[in-house]
Amino acid sequence: MPGGDSWPEVPGVFFDGRSSRDHPATLHLEPDGVRLRLAGRADHHWRAADVTVDPALPGVRRALSFPDGSRFETAEHATVRAWETRHGRNRLLGGVARLEASWGAALGAVAVTGALLWGFVTFGLPALARQAAAVTPQGVLASFDREAMRVLEGQDLIGPSGLSAARQAQLQAAFRDVSGWAGGGYGYRLLLRDGEPAGGVGMGANAFALPNGTVVMTDQLVALARSDRELIGVLAHEAGHVTQRHGLASVYQALGLSLIVTALTGDVVSASTFAAAVPVALVQGGYSRAAETQSDAVAARYLLERYGTTRPLQTILARLESAEGGADGLPDLLSTHPGTAARIEHLRQLEDAAR
Amino acid sequence: MAGMSDPVSLSKDRPAAAPDSGTPLGRHAAAPATGIHSGHAADGTQAAPVVTTYPVSFTGSAGEYFRLWIVNAALTVVTLGLYLPWARVRNRQYFYGHTWVDGHNFEYRADPRRLLRSYLLVGALFLAYVLTSESESLGWVSVLIALLFLGLYPWLVAQSMRFQAVNTVHRGLRFHFDGRVRDAYVAYGAANVAAAVSGGLALPWAWFMQRRYQLDHLRYGSARGLFRGDVAPMYLIALTALGVMAGAGLLLGVPAVVAVVAWMAAQGFELDSLNWMGAGLFGVFFVAAAYVILLVLQGVVWQYVRAATMRYVLNSAELGGVVRTGATFNPWRVVWISVSNGVAQLLTLGLATPWADIRRSRYLLQGVTVRAIAPLDEFAGSAGGPESALGEAATELLDIGLGF
Ligand SMILES: [Zn+2]
Repeated sequence: MPGGDSWPEVPGVFFDGRSSRDHPATLHLEPDGVRLRLAGRADHHWRAADVTVDPALPGVRRALSFPDGSRFETAEHATVRAWETRHGRNRLLGGVARLEASWGAALGAVAVTGALLWGFVTFGLPALARQAAAVTPQGVLASFDREAMRVLEGQDLIGPSGLSAARQAQLQAAFRDVSGWAGGGYGYRLLLRDGEPAGGVGMGANAFALPNGTVVMTDQLVALARSDRELIGVLAHEAGHVTQRHGLASVYQALGLSLIVTALTGDVVSASTFAAAVPVALVQGGYSRAAETQSDAVAARYLLERYGTTRPLQTILARLESAEGGADGLPDLLSTHPGTAARIEHLRQLEDAAR
Repeated sequence: MAGMSDPVSLSKDRPAAAPDSGTPLGRHAAAPATGIHSGHAADGTQAAPVVTTYPVSFTGSAGEYFRLWIVNAALTVVTLGLYLPWARVRNRQYFYGHTWVDGHNFEYRADPRRLLRSYLLVGALFLAYVLTSESESLGWVSVLIALLFLGLYPWLVAQSMRFQAVNTVHRGLRFHFDGRVRDAYVAYGAANVAAAVSGGLALPWAWFMQRRYQLDHLRYGSARGLFRGDVAPMYLIALTALGVMAGAGLLLGVPAVVAVVAWMAAQGFELDSLNWMGAGLFGVFFVAAAYVILLVLQGVVWQYVRAATMRYVLNSAELGGVVRTGATFNPWRVVWISVSNGVAQLLTLGLATPWADIRRSRYLLQGVTVRAIAPLDEFAGSAGGPESALGEAATELLDIGLGF
């Protein structure tokens, strides 16, 4: 090619790929290819199509490699970049390299990463978890209930109920009506249990629902109620958690969170221990405010149908809150504690709307 | 251009050939049939070979790497993880590219597209494992995946070694790894089983087998690696770690027991009147604190084991009978760097990770030297076999420490 000297030339080092010897060399970057000039040897020309340009890395010399395994390395970043741009190489990673060179882009990346992670954890993940919970086959649910009950009974958090057989039968009958109304084909059963089997510890006055319809209600909660309607309101609320699959959704949410942590830290061991913690999460993990509101709405519908008022649930919520000071652990019904007043107000509004 | 190391000027900085203090470079020096054309052996055994020490330098900077790291992390998040292989490769390329021996840097050449396919496969298997491990009816799937992984683990390690080696380039020559899968099943399968069955007694032996497998089958061009190490130092490292663990446990445990007894005494030993809640809370707090301390201690000791074996391996590695590596870094200093790095990363929600990585590499590499009785530019190349990215993806995603 005539006039080759007018094309940019870069000093650097050449390796032939057959030995580790470094040869000082210059490379002429011509429009249709590159020409290598080695001291004491004939020039060698490669067509542009045969030249591979490695993507730029900050502070690392540029490398061009050739079909025979040889390569040329140079510190002349600007000249190589110009040739690379002209031949349309490394468009994407070249852009990445430009971003990496700027502190502004780095700050932007911090903001974007933080915002996206926060947004996904607060909005995306709960939505995904709800979807996954909704499509989970019913056959899977029973094992969740079994495992959670095993943990609860193993930890002495609950014991056999001290209620009389007649009282238990009354409550069971009330629950049958609630669960029949709620429907959905779940394995509904009401377990009446002592919430303080080991004295002062335990879950106290409480009720909670497991994914497949197991509802646990403690003697302490039964004692706290002044009428059966209050307890029926609580049972309807728990049935709401079952039909809306809130328990399963919270398990999936915790699972997703641990997967994200795994991806960010590269630590799989802590994610594997999560599998063992699922039953505990089911029992201890509270529901979101939105889930409680949904379940309250279900309970309100039942109470309005049967008794024309939501007042029983309102009163027991209020009494639970005033009694909660002495109890150990947050009862499920109050797991989103600051919202109790708002929940009572919500129940009142539902009753007003029904009139 | 401040961060740019000019290769030519670095070459000039090459230290003058300094006759080393008496230790010739080993038995292979007399028989250089391993692919390097050395003229020294022909002179007979009387002429001690001239040993040249080449310092290893690391030129990465925390600010520069922070920008690279965060931009690639953001791209990974924006692409819902699909960019992850590119990010990982770029991060690694930065470290390789800033590691210099005798004026030439290393290069990492892995193809992110091939890694992506393997990442997706491994990720899907892991997700299937997590999802089915809770289910009664599908539990057998998770068991099957776990068994598959355990059975294939040595094969995956061999694949990973092969992949890492063949994608490492220095002076235009690739490394290769030609360890047989059968040997991997000995070093990573049988040895690990023996370590587990013997209650950890055989663990240092397993480390030895694994390091030897890694080094003896490594090639640079046609020059073969060699692990000159022995089992005994591995046991010494393990004993040191155990001793530190026991000593620190005593040092922390005795005051803790004293504190409990003192607390009980303050309560007047009236166990009957003890507030159940108070005792329960104290007990829970105590157990939790002890657990955290134990975890931290275990992490510290494990870091020591890793750093100490790495130093020992570097001090026992040989290439082609003419090159030996050496390491002078202090394992306890590495432990301190790891612990303080971890604290910094925790306090900055991970944003200090690039700084921490650079700091660690800088300390490790400034304590590494390469000594040779032949110029480093006389190695000859050779062809290598095919390699699969699956082992690399599995070991990297599942965070299997290869200790390299
Ligand atoms: Zn609830």
